[in-house]
Amino acid sequence: MSYSLFRRLLQRQRPVICPISGSFGQRFSLHSTPRIYKAAAAAASPFAKDALPAGSLIAGKSSLTPRIHDKLCVLKTKYDGLNERMSGNISDLGRDELAKLSKDLSDTGLIVVPYKRLLELYEELVELQQMIDSGDPSFRDMALEEKQETLDSIAACEREIISGLLPKDSAEKAGAILEIRAGTGGDEASLFSGDLLRMYERFALTKGWKYRPISLDAEGDMVKEAVVEVSGRGVFGVLMFESGVHRVQRVPATESQGRIHTSTVTVAVLPQATDVHIEIKDSDLRIDVFRASGKGGQHVNTTDSAVRITHIPTGIAVENQQERSQIRNKEKAMQILRARLYDRERQKAESQRRESRNKLIGTGDRSEKCRTYNYAQNRVTDHRINFSLYDLEGVMNGSSLQYIVDQLRIQNDLDELARME
Amino acid sequence: MPRSPSNNTLLPLLRKLTEKLGDQQAKNELRWMVDHIHATLDDSRHRQTIEAERQTRLSARLWRGQSAPSEAEIERDNVRFSSVQWAWLRQAVHDRTENHKPLQYIIGSQPFGQANILLRHPVLIPRWETEEWMLKLVDMLNTHFSLSSLDSSGPKQPLNILDACTGTGCVALGLACGLLPNTASITGADISDDAILLAQENLALNSLLIKNKLDFHKLDLLQTSDTASKLLDISPTWDIIVSNPPYVTPSEYKQLDPDVKEWEDIRALVPMPADIDPKTVDLGDLDPSGVGFIVQLAKLAQNIGVADSRRKSLAGTNIPRLVVEIGGTQQVEPVCQALHDHGMNSTEVWKDMAGNDRVVLGYLKV
Repeated sequence: MSYSLFRRLLQRQRPVICPISGSFGQRFSLHSTPRIYKAAAAAASPFAKDALPAGSLIAGKSSLTPRIHDKLCVLKTKYDGLNERMSGNISDLGRDELAKLSKDLSDTGLIVVPYKRLLELYEELVELQQMIDSGDPSFRDMALEEKQETLDSIAACEREIISGLLPKDSAEKAGAILEIRAGTGGDEASLFSGDLLRMYERFALTKGWKYRPISLDAEGDMVKEAVVEVSGRGVFGVLMFESGVHRVQRVPATESQGRIHTSTVTVAVLPQATDVHIEIKDSDLRIDVFRASGKGGQHVNTTDSAVRITHIPTGIAVENQQERSQIRNKEKAMQILRARLYDRERQKAESQRRESRNKLIGTGDRSEKCRTYNYAQNRVTDHRINFSLYDLEGVMNGSSLQYIVDQLRIQNDLDELARME
Repeated sequence: MPRSPSNNTLLPLLRKLTEKLGDQQAKNELRWMVDHIHATLDDSRHRQTIEAERQTRLSARLWRGQSAPSEAEIERDNVRFSSVQWAWLRQAVHDRTENHKPLQYIIGSQPFGQANILLRHPVLIPRWETEEWMLKLVDMLNTHFSLSSLDSSGPKQPLNILDACTGTGCVALGLACGLLPNTASITGADISDDAILLAQENLALNSLLIKNKLDFHKLDLLQTSDTASKLLDISPTWDIIVSNPPYVTPSEYKQLDPDVKEWEDIRALVPMPADIDPKTVDLGDLDPSGVGFIVQLAKLAQNIGVADSRRKSLAGTNIPRLVVEIGGTQQVEPVCQALHDHGMNSTEVWKDMAGNDRVVLGYLKV
């Protein structure tokens, strides 16, 4: 395939999930994309390279990297397996088993069905390309026309696959608390954490999220530590992969010798504490009124208004005899029980969050990096998915970060789906 | 007036109460008496501040799971009492310990649902069991009202509810305050002049909380034929009868605490005909089952059309027509029988928080 044909194809095809539009977008898709693609392909394992369908090479720019194709293949095998079980003898399956089976089938089908169509389109494309390359002028024009249609369908298919991978989990719909801390590297690390903070602020702006600093330990451009609340729809689902050690390689402003330094900044993203949901079932409660052994009613005029409510699952008991009315005492005791359970849940959530935070950010050591920002090479590489983007400026001003986030998201969802039984 | 420290402390009063009531309950009752002083007899400008501080302390104690205040805490409460207040308190403790006067009569009021009910000897003191089922009934009716307002347009006629043996008027007031606005027209009836007077006072006291039409009438509900026509004069149709009628048996009455027996009206406790003088009544002559009044009430319900299934207002709904409090499991069977004999085709029993059978409900189910 000649480079000129490749270029032409690229010009025709619109970026699939690239958020950049206008003149910059044009430049981006012309110059940056081939490099993205090459970097991604080079970084992928040899298996992944083999797994890449021939048609996708012809189709050119795609947000489906070889690794993703790899995962999609696994998913397809799983889907076929499920389908086979479903079409076989299902009468001996239990009701729950059957429900799970059909749920798995529809979950994977959401992605695999368009993926299968995509593979067919790739095959079509290969045939068309052969027709064009054969040089027969009678077919050539027709084939080129048809090729364009196929490319459009491929783009639509990819969009469908990706939208099938977008967040569905309710926890990911919540807002997020973003913590940024300078790691190793002294002042340079603080300077870079300031840069990152601005990156997220601009990113939030482009997404239409609310961005509210909670605490800021800063001196000029140097930010030692910042905690920011970002609220809006789906914030956590987008930012959750930002957690980790971000490494910067550049010549610091503080460096007089012109040497490149490596520094780190740790980022932790936690789901925003929304209302802890407390549900108290009546069957979980035991209510005791005191001196209840007698006949009650008109037979006694008790002033003993003590009520004790025991929440059986947790063993929490609240006793109240403040008021003269049993009924009010019971209501108050319920309130306190609710508050106690809330407190307990909150503390549990809190300690879980602390734990996950420690897991997320690690110690801030240079080797634990999740992403590298290399200024000299104008490159941002996410090490978790071996993905490089040669548009550092775009990332740092918040406009191209979405591209990385999407890749992380897709990779994560595919991993999750592939793990599904 | 100088205060002598030996006289004016709470501890001797607390000890006196403890002898009769036990430690925990004595502390509670003394606290409620002191609360009452703060709430009504205290002319101090700082009253609200003191009250707020006390509430904070109480809440803190409750949160820590401590139920009773220490003696030191009790002592701290009495600092600002005047001589009048001390006099009231000493009299109150004396009445409580020596005369078996119920605390509710001493304090003179009791919360009931949203309402605050004035109490006066000898009108029956509302029991928590009654409050419990009244609130449950309010929930049930309100659910019905909000559902039925959804499925049909146009204003609904308010339900006519009779509270038989209303006493202080507590059940009628509880319903009038708790039911959704203008969903019910409630009538309280009692044979006692004391009761009707007190009920009228309670109506006036709680007028700001009342959301439904409510009035009280003096009626002898046992004279069935005569009463029925009087009731039909008040309202041409009746939908629901609720009642906390007398249900204590004569033999049980002999065993009751002096708090109850010496202070509360026997006519509110033991069912007996109106023409018998309660002061000279021979308990041996009375119905031994304690359900006599309830049987009459079931008959009355039939006579005023509550048990008439052709009536449109509640037809096809799951709303009870007759709700009566009972004295325990042994009365379930005869009461259900009486309800079935007088037009109801279905009955239900509610238990109270202490696990006793407390209320029988009669339904007309389709």
